Amino acid sequence: MALNKVQMLELYRKMRTIREFEETVAKFFSQGQIPGFVHLYTGEEAVATGVCANLEKQDYIASTHRGHGHGIARGASLNKMMAEIFGRIDGECKGKGGSMHIADVELGFLGANGIVGAGLPLATGAGFAAKYMKTNGVAICFFGDAASNRGTFHESLNMASIQKLPVVFVNENNMYGISMSQERHQNISDIADRAGSYGMPGMVVDGNDVMAVYEAAEEAVKSARAGGGPVLIECKTYRHHGHFEGDACIYRCDEEVNAWKAKDPLPRFANRLQEMKMATEAEIDQIDAEVKKVIADAVEFAQNSPVPTLDELTKDVYCD
Amino acid sequence: MIAGIIANPASGKDIRRLVAHATVFDNQEKANLIRRILLGLQAAGVQTVWFMPDYFGFYERALDAFSGENQLSMEIKLLPMQCKANQEDSQLAAAKMVELGVRCLVTLGGDGTNRVVSKGAGVVPIMPVSTGTNNVFSVMVEGTIAGLAAGLVATGAVEEEYSLIRTKKLIIYINGKAVDIALIDAVVLAEQFIGCRAIWDMGKIRQIVATCGEPFHIGIAAIVGALHPIDMRESKGINLIIESGGQRQYPAQSSSIQVNAAVGPGLIRSVPVRSYELMSLGQKVVVRHVPCVIAVDGEREIIVGPEDCVEIELVQTGPLVVDVKSTLKRAAEKGLFINR
Repeated sequence: MALNKVQMLELYRKMRTIREFEETVAKFFSQGQIPGFVHLYTGEEAVATGVCANLEKQDYIASTHRGHGHGIARGASLNKMMAEIFGRIDGECKGKGGSMHIADVELGFLGANGIVGAGLPLATGAGFAAKYMKTNGVAICFFGDAASNRGTFHESLNMASIQKLPVVFVNENNMYGISMSQERHQNISDIADRAGSYGMPGMVVDGNDVMAVYEAAEEAVKSARAGGGPVLIECKTYRHHGHFEGDACIYRCDEEVNAWKAKDPLPRFANRLQEMKMATEAEIDQIDAEVKKVIADAVEFAQNSPVPTLDELTKDVYCD
Repeated sequence: MIAGIIANPASGKDIRRLVAHATVFDNQEKANLIRRILLGLQAAGVQTVWFMPDYFGFYERALDAFSGENQLSMEIKLLPMQCKANQEDSQLAAAKMVELGVRCLVTLGGDGTNRVVSKGAGVVPIMPVSTGTNNVFSVMVEGTIAGLAAGLVATGAVEEEYSLIRTKKLIIYINGKAVDIALIDAVVLAEQFIGCRAIWDMGKIRQIVATCGEPFHIGIAAIVGALHPIDMRESKGINLIIESGGQRQYPAQSSSIQVNAAVGPGLIRSVPVRSYELMSLGQKVVVRHVPCVIAVDGEREIIVGPEDCVEIELVQTGPLVVDVKSTLKRAAEKGLFINR
């Protein structure tokens, strides 16, 4: 792990972009300007950022219903993502998919997904394709703690391990499957323990520390790309918002939420950069201001984009 | 007649499962191990056992096997404390158990876990059962045997001179203030982040200060052991200066002293030692490379800034540790396993 100042600041900028994007979406959702459901990634920024910073052009990611952060970390267009969430024609999926179906195949972003655990076989398939086509690519699968109870998790890990596929399974353990705490939905505390059953390395990292995630992903991606087979990284993290916007969150106590907010990955990394003299407070403030402007521009782009017309309804459903 | 159990649910799960070939120690197996420890403690005559609460729930899971006719005769209690799911839990639990009159603390973890427990343990002996990755302080031992040995210590059935080892420790000072300790080693790394905590890149090591090290140890202590072995009981330590950027696959050639050692599970590396000096008790050495990160007992823990002055002192006041073999041999000599 030897990142220079520019790379470190880029990690911070990426996390700040995700945070600003999500908080902006929350604001417009509460005003009734965004249709459908949104599940926000606030609090978990270090995971997507730390992992995707290790990826190459030929690599793939598969996401979850909480997918905005993954798309941004992979480099998806903020304008198109915002327009999609606003349900506008200039969105990634012409405004017809919404928050949970943002995808950009050219970027190797196989999409957010409304079905829990559905990204697992997609990433496994992408890993198979990379190996079969000899692209030297790696597939990343982001998934939650509850998704590890699904059959797709076990089938995917089984296939990836038996075929020694270049897949890195990145578990975002935010401790809740919707409103059900992990201790109530599974008889283990560490998803990484499940890796051993499939003969692959599994490890636990602090998912609120972008450098810890970066370091773990760096080794996992390097190993997978070199033919070492799949790896499972469990990132312990926490979502600041409810499961979805509008969730009253009565299943979590303030004490727990505040304890995790004290470990917020953004100020934690910003402070460390300043302690290391890698950035001044002014430089951090400047990044924050630049990000604010970029997100405001994305909102303007989205709001200026038309709503899809009725004749768009059946387009893209079947192959034309 | 009171013992305590502090089990770390996070041990044995770090990145060394990938970058080395470290053992996977899942928590179900730790729960199973605790059951065997409990049976050993009970057989030795312990009447009460306090448990540290944790996020996995070792207390409930271990006791789940002892219902109905298998019920334990001794009392098992959960320590009244809030679990924060970080290393503060272990230190606090140890301190509380000492207050409650615990006479021996059984720990499940690696050297890092025991470092934290020792901060709260005071003069109460530790029976360190290994469930971690690098294990110099903690012992690879069958749980039943560990439970018996710990029980014989807790009940006072075996005299201290046979059962306990007084260990050493290192105190790390930053700008004159003691900030942390290490039981085995403090390793200075040319690094700026804690990151994944473990050490596997020998190229980043600049200095090693150790209380002990044997050729049969695993981890950084193995470097000491290969160069100048120091027993846990000896009244000395060692300070090694490492050539910058040095890491080679075994074997290697260099003008420095190339020390080949098992620096991690499955990781045998050649480490270029530029110089070394033995340390006497009470001696302080200066950390020469700043800024840096200092790893204590195998885990990157302390961040040192460019302006900081760091010193490391070797002292005799490490925790008391149960010597399993000696304890059980003495118990046999005293006829404690014979029904008369």
